[in-house]
Amino acid sequence: MWGTNLRVLGVVLGTLLVYTLIANKIPQVQSEVPQALALGANVTPEQLVAAGDKVFNGIGGCTTCHGLGTRAPNLLTDEKGTGLIGVRCAQREAGKSCKQYLFESLDNPTAFVVPGYQPIMPVMSRQLSPQQIWAVIAFLESQGGTVDVTGSDIPAPTPGASPGSPGSPGSAGFAGGSTDPQAIMNAAGCLGCHKLNGAGGAIAPDLTHVGTRRNAESLRRKILDPTSSVAKGFERFAGVMPKTFGTMMNASQLEALVQFLAAHK
Amino acid sequence: MTDHVLLLLQQAADSIPAYREFPVIGSRSAVWITAEVHLMFAAFVLGVPMFAVVTEAIGIFNKDERYDRLAKEFTRLLLVAYSATAIWGAMLTIGLFTLYPRFSQYMASVFSPSMWLYVGLFLFESFTLYLYYYGWDRWKKGRSKWVHWGLGVQLNVFGTIVMFIANSWLTFMMSPPRDVTPTTDPTTIKLWHAIATATWMPINIHRLIANVVFGGAVVAAYASYRFLSAKTDEERAHYDWMGYVGNFIAMSALIVLPFAGYWLGREVYQYDQSMGITMMGGFMSWLWVIQAFLIAVLFLTGNYYLWLGMQRIPGAERFRPYTKWLLGILVLGAIVWGTPHTMIADTKELAAMGGSHHPFLGALGVMSAKNTAVNLMILTTFLSFLLYRRANTRPVVPWARTGTIVQGVMFAVAAAVVLFFGIRGYFVEAIVRIGFSVYQVLAVLTCIVFVTVIDILMARGAQSLGAIQWGKMPPRSQYALFVLAVTFTWLMGLMGFARSGIRQYWHVWQVMQDTSRYAATPALGYAAKMISTCVLIFLLLVGFVFWLGGLAEKSTFVEAAPKERDHVGH
Repeated sequence: MWGTNLRVLGVVLGTLLVYTLIANKIPQVQSEVPQALALGANVTPEQLVAAGDKVFNGIGGCTTCHGLGTRAPNLLTDEKGTGLIGVRCAQREAGKSCKQYLFESLDNPTAFVVPGYQPIMPVMSRQLSPQQIWAVIAFLESQGGTVDVTGSDIPAPTPGASPGSPGSPGSAGFAGGSTDPQAIMNAAGCLGCHKLNGAGGAIAPDLTHVGTRRNAESLRRKILDPTSSVAKGFERFAGVMPKTFGTMMNASQLEALVQFLAAHK
Repeated sequence: MTDHVLLLLQQAADSIPAYREFPVIGSRSAVWITAEVHLMFAAFVLGVPMFAVVTEAIGIFNKDERYDRLAKEFTRLLLVAYSATAIWGAMLTIGLFTLYPRFSQYMASVFSPSMWLYVGLFLFESFTLYLYYYGWDRWKKGRSKWVHWGLGVQLNVFGTIVMFIANSWLTFMMSPPRDVTPTTDPTTIKLWHAIATATWMPINIHRLIANVVFGGAVVAAYASYRFLSAKTDEERAHYDWMGYVGNFIAMSALIVLPFAGYWLGREVYQYDQSMGITMMGGFMSWLWVIQAFLIAVLFLTGNYYLWLGMQRIPGAERFRPYTKWLLGILVLGAIVWGTPHTMIADTKELAAMGGSHHPFLGALGVMSAKNTAVNLMILTTFLSFLLYRRANTRPVVPWARTGTIVQGVMFAVAAAVVLFFGIRGYFVEAIVRIGFSVYQVLAVLTCIVFVTVIDILMARGAQSLGAIQWGKMPPRSQYALFVLAVTFTWLMGLMGFARSGIRQYWHVWQVMQDTSRYAATPALGYAAKMISTCVLIFLLLVGFVFWLGGLAEKSTFVEAAPKERDHVGH
């Protein structure tokens, strides 16, 4: 009887041990909580690259698709003889520098899709803070190219606007609390999906004449609660618009943005 | 006065700490262990009644006492397990409300009506179980037997509703409605709106099937222990049979489980693509390699048990030469399925590999190869079972030869469809390739259904080559059942980690952030230690529970060994 008990226990413990050992032998990746980057105006290229490396290989989740070769272009290895991303980035789009191209790829990824790939990249400026975005750009430039990102590229920190963490009402808001609607829209990445005066994305309604379709009250409600209504023809994108904008801008910014859009008739 | 009271209440609410610390192991580990062990017991007490009631029905329709006794023995295992489920549930609730008070308060604000309903239904469910078990011998004949069977059905209805309610809490955490934002007052969220989220029904169905798999595996392990410690041939024969039935239930439901998993995965992607990417290709990517390894163990061990079982069946020796080919397909399939693909790799690792893929193995790591492998493994397992089923019979229907040829053609066509779409998948875009998996699955399921129907018809009046010699199994077959039970339980813990872990540092995805010191989602190595701890606690407790059950009542095994029968005893 005891012999049976011991053998059964041995089988159970042995099986558990094997599984535990195998799971501990594979590469260990922990999902970290995003930390706000504090990159001041006098940040060095090395600091930017180091910070970008962490974002790229960590919370940015970039390696999920880039580097695998099937979903998205390799960035850290040679891509079809065109070199690393730092080498080829300036040649991707005519008239765009490496820095401009990389920023566009992160902020408005559907603007230019590398031939042979699907437009599946999410708008990273909705998921990462401006500091993180610019750090990633510096890191990518460092892959065979020259890092020309400087502290002046990085907007002032906006604690309330840190993606991934809800801001608190009354916080500084986007773009350092600026009430310039254009600055708010740039900082919030609205043009990643919406078009305004011919510029911007196409997966959300064109805002150029939004004032003819929505009044100020409707716009305010839509920003605070994006699911309150869905524009005709965009039903399949329902739910894409972040629901956190209401908590990421302060009241003055919200009003400035609402009045700005309502005036676009 | 009223304002003053409200102010005091508000101050009291604000003074609630967000988190408290649990000594030594920390609050995350404390909640992890209590939740996981509770879930394992809950899965067991929800899964077993499902096949207990089916087994009882088989006994009623076939007028076969053995099935009725087997159903009763299944149910006997539930009695103490119910108490254990409730105790661990209470521990989890207290753990959550003391260690994560603000989060618990948030959830209670949204779900309190369904929480009350949950408690009420659990009460009814428990008393239905007591009636079902203790009334077994009293309501044994005639119409009262049907009333008794109705109690079993009722038990399952209560259990399923209870599970659906609890699932709604976790699916809300995972995929809250889009209009719920960090500033939404939880008391304003409509209950049904919070319940009917994107992942609720996929999780419900996935768990429903998984509970049957899990229950079958644990019952099989129980039977194998009783087999190993049996003192008489009769007892050994009974528990050999019980182990076979438990394993059959587990393996049959396992074949369907991946399809429910696909549905859940698709809903996760549709709800939030970044969550889907985190799950399949992000920091959890290695988890799927471990999962592939575990499922390979399940397939290989399940088939091994069947092949050993054929040793006790007269006439099975004619099929023995095929075993090595079946084993070959299973091993090759397992290797392909376990080939890594979408891994997080850093610069050094990419450089060491010479690119994004391994120059040779990279081609096997894609979904085309993996879907092909798993579908062929399912077909192979089904073929193993078919050979087992036919081992001691010789069909006598005039169309037997034609029937066998048709079955063979169906296998060949299904395998050809699977291979065709697997190879074609390399030459089309991803979006088209994903659609191919549906055709592969349909081909396999169609083959399983039609081949089974033909086999049942062919078995009518079949000549018996001798009865199955229940009890004549080598002990290693019983240890294989233990490996299956441990693996199923471990897999359950792993998948629970995957489901919960994709929320990362959110209590409620993008609504309520985890700001505790345990907000980071741990790596797989740490998770594996936690899972093994939970599995060990569960198995030790379940062993104790079964031992208690044995003290209370003698085994219900049939006194005499099953006599030689015309049918083959499946």
